[in-house]
Amino acid sequence: MSIIKKLALVVVSLSLVAVSSVSSAKPFSPKKPVELIIPAGQGGGADEIARLVQGVIEKNDYASKPVIPINKSGGSGGEAMTYVKKKAGDEHTLIITLNNVLTTPVNQPELGIDFFNDFTPLARLITDTFLVWIATEGKNTAGVETFDDFIDLARGNGLVMGGTGSMSEDELLLGMMRGQFGFDAKYVPYSGGGAVAKGLVGGESDFTLNNPSEQMGFYQSGDSKALVMMTPERNPAFPEVPSSYELGYPDLEYYMMRAFMAPAGIDAEVEKYYTGLLHTVYHDDEFQTFNIDDGKLMSWLEGFGLKDFLAIEYEKHGEIIKNFN
Amino acid sequence: METVGFLLDGIFTSLQWFNLALLIFGCLIGLFVGAMPGLGSVNGVAILIPITFIIPPTAAIIFLAAVYYGAMYGGAISSVMLGIPGASTAVATVFDGRPLAVKGEAMTALTAAAVGSFVGGTVSVILFTLFAPPLAEVALRFNAPETFALMVMAFATFVGLGGDDVPKTIFSILIGLALSTIGLDLITGKPRLIFFNIPGFLHGINFLVLAIGIYGIGEMLWTLEETKGKVQMSKLSVNMNEVGRAFGALKKTIMAMNIGSFLGFFVGILPAAGATPASLMSYGITKQLSKNSKEFGSGVPAGVVAPECANNSASTGSMLPMLTLGIPGSPTTAILLGGMILWGLTPGPLLFTQEPEFVWGLIGSLYIANFFTLVLNIALIPAFLMVLRIPFAILAPVIFVLCVTGGYAPTQSLHDVWLMLLFGFAGYILRKLDYPVAPAVLSIVLGPLAEKALRQSLILSDGSMGIFFDVSEKPIAAVIMYIAIVLLIMPAFGPLYRRFFKKKQTA
Amino acid sequence: MSITNKITVKRAEIAVAVILALCSIALMIKSAENRITWNAEENMGAGFLPFYLSLGMLICTTLTIIKFVLKRSPQSKDDTPFIDAVAFKFIAVTIISLVVLVLAIGYLGIYFSLIFFLAFYLRYFSEKSFAFITIFAITTPILTFLFFEWMLKIPLPQGISEPLFYPVYDFMYGGFSFAVKMIFIILTVVLPTALVFLTTRFIK
Repeated sequence: MSIIKKLALVVVSLSLVAVSSVSSAKPFSPKKPVELIIPAGQGGGADEIARLVQGVIEKNDYASKPVIPINKSGGSGGEAMTYVKKKAGDEHTLIITLNNVLTTPVNQPELGIDFFNDFTPLARLITDTFLVWIATEGKNTAGVETFDDFIDLARGNGLVMGGTGSMSEDELLLGMMRGQFGFDAKYVPYSGGGAVAKGLVGGESDFTLNNPSEQMGFYQSGDSKALVMMTPERNPAFPEVPSSYELGYPDLEYYMMRAFMAPAGIDAEVEKYYTGLLHTVYHDDEFQTFNIDDGKLMSWLEGFGLKDFLAIEYEKHGEIIKNFN
Repeated sequence: METVGFLLDGIFTSLQWFNLALLIFGCLIGLFVGAMPGLGSVNGVAILIPITFIIPPTAAIIFLAAVYYGAMYGGAISSVMLGIPGASTAVATVFDGRPLAVKGEAMTALTAAAVGSFVGGTVSVILFTLFAPPLAEVALRFNAPETFALMVMAFATFVGLGGDDVPKTIFSILIGLALSTIGLDLITGKPRLIFFNIPGFLHGINFLVLAIGIYGIGEMLWTLEETKGKVQMSKLSVNMNEVGRAFGALKKTIMAMNIGSFLGFFVGILPAAGATPASLMSYGITKQLSKNSKEFGSGVPAGVVAPECANNSASTGSMLPMLTLGIPGSPTTAILLGGMILWGLTPGPLLFTQEPEFVWGLIGSLYIANFFTLVLNIALIPAFLMVLRIPFAILAPVIFVLCVTGGYAPTQSLHDVWLMLLFGFAGYILRKLDYPVAPAVLSIVLGPLAEKALRQSLILSDGSMGIFFDVSEKPIAAVIMYIAIVLLIMPAFGPLYRRFFKKKQTA
Repeated sequence: MSITNKITVKRAEIAVAVILALCSIALMIKSAENRITWNAEENMGAGFLPFYLSLGMLICTTLTIIKFVLKRSPQSKDDTPFIDAVAFKFIAVTIISLVVLVLAIGYLGIYFSLIFFLAFYLRYFSEKSFAFITIFAITTPILTFLFFEWMLKIPLPQGISEPLFYPVYDFMYGGFSFAVKMIFIILTVVLPTALVFLTTRFIK
């Protein structure tokens, strides 16, 4: 089977080369609606960005064909990645990433995803940050004012942490914290960031490691508070929350990247077109304002810089997973 | 009093001519999308999000509310006319709506669905206006153990749904539950039951694939066998007598309306539940409490009113956790939530005080949308009934096309179309051998919710089932659990009860 | 013909029960790939629920088989054919044509496959005229396309026919005015649909 598949791939790529050498005279533009694969369910952080990008492109006519977001949430993104892998050479498919593109290929080797050869990285637009949240009136975390109070409390007692699913970013983060601070917590998985936030305020869990947007509503109403942001600097959206560097924990740094990738084997022309499109979106005022207000970091990265970044992150996550297990 | 003012403002805003035109257009789109098997309000709302960047937010909300309500009604149309639930919320509508249509009383079924939906929508808007803030508090306290207890109660209300053959009924429940465990396990993050490593199984088995397979393909094969491709689907006459009779039949369904509206609303406001369990539970409880519960399933108007009332009531109710807690109860509200965030609104406890115009505008337009969908629905009944006039030989391939596209659209994978064909065929064979299929459909809907809640609770309690029965720690969960157990045991005592009491009455 | 007579309800019942029992066992084995235990130290394993659910299925099918052997179920005494010969032919044709349809969708794309499916199915089951069938088989995919791809923006599989749709997309998203697009839709959809209605009225 695999030999046939490889042969087929060779044939496909050869024919692509042939086709592209003929048609390379004209700059690429999409011939049909572009599928934007979201490796997560509706209503999550990746979904939100994907639909924002769709809206910005549509409103301003940045592209000649619309972008259609498609959710393929199965298997922690495994389904979406297998889909994109199969679409090698397809010029009308994009995928938005969560960090699960870095973890799922390692956690589920049976999918046969080769992170470095199955995708063409286009650009990173945003990085999302993580904070440690507790409920203002949490019954087990009463009296906790600072992150250090929290660590002291967590070391002594088995606290309950709400998270977005086993082996997801926040459970890995918990694993990191366990190593650094020597406390453990009971991990309860929920089905999305919103449910995690509600579980915290509803008193089911004692702390969470949510993204800013997931807790924003409860944060503004004063039902939850953040103890530390896992970044070098404070964020303008959360002026009173200290950064981990300030508190003297520079190892506590973690991000969620929102990058876009295309399938492997696409033309340089095509790659250039989509990178350019994303660049236009990135510099759109509406896009900028929305993300900054939401506490996200605008962090454009493309080309070799992005490839290096991905390589480093991939290795780092492999390490985290190894330590976790 | 202030809220009533905002609500009235919302209602008047949606009655401006531009908004009203959008509203009616939205209702029509919703009806159409909802009536297509496999497509639901989620698809309608999803395409509209980009449009809402162009029109002002108020108009956008009105449009979205109209599509949302239109789709809620639309689901019932395909349940009744084609026997295929248009959406998961309309599954229970098939149980009695379809038999009514086959009996030639499609008119009654459609009227019952429309009026039931309207009543449910009205009651829920009133409840929402009066009790929203305290109910948000209840929703916040409704966590994993409570959700699991509620799921057990939902199953308990359905004990009586199966056939007479007990092993076959239990088999049907179990296979539905087993199928619902396919895919990634949320708790351990491990893939489960991925047969032959086919990636299509990673997203699990979408409930719609099973429902469209069994009720679409399976039902068509069944009809094909019965009629040998010759007979029209049912007889048909539309005149004023019929309309009068349809409304007359509704008089007997007041109990169903009450149960549906109130139960639907309260189940709807619970974050994890939503409209589907609400409509199923409402059907089950109405059936159990009804005097003629034996006739349920053979076509009684109350069996259409109960779920339709409940799902509309619940869909207003489910706005509550979305607005106040930022938790989407369904894919549709998830997209709506995404839209709200894009409009610069932050869902959360402060939304009611900071953006009252938005909240009450939404509720007001939901109500107006509800009213106009009722009017449109009644007006369009003759058009829906034309479906029945289409000869079977033409209707059948059209239904197959709807099934194939409907199986494909929700997950965009051909894998699910194959599964749908398989379920259709298997469902047809099993049905011929008296295996009841409805329990399997129910358990594939409720299974994932129940499993998640159960295992989350067990992590919290370190594996002890005691968490569900501890009245002092978790009073809500315990009370619901005990009621569920009573409901589960009741049917076993039913025959005894009848033996001892009914005889005395007749004697 | 004789095959359908040989497959009695009785035989079908026991065959299906045995198949279901085998499926249950397969499910149990498959579930056991994950941890199926639940004890004080480790919480419920991922395989626990599917394993015991399929065990329950196995018990239920075993009970069905026992009832069959003891002749307690109505099916165990039923010697009538499971399905009559005429209906069997209809159902077999339907299932095979559906399987071919889905196979074709993967290769030829949904729109062209539908044309062939509808043409065949109507030809086989209805007594409609050639003109009616042609119009119907072509209009339905066009409506499907407009509804899914244009209105709902849900791409359906196009297989090898994909390049044929590029000009259509160019038209759909090109700089034409709304009016031009509407006129085009009316020409492609409403006219053939009206023709179908007319033909149903006047052509048998």
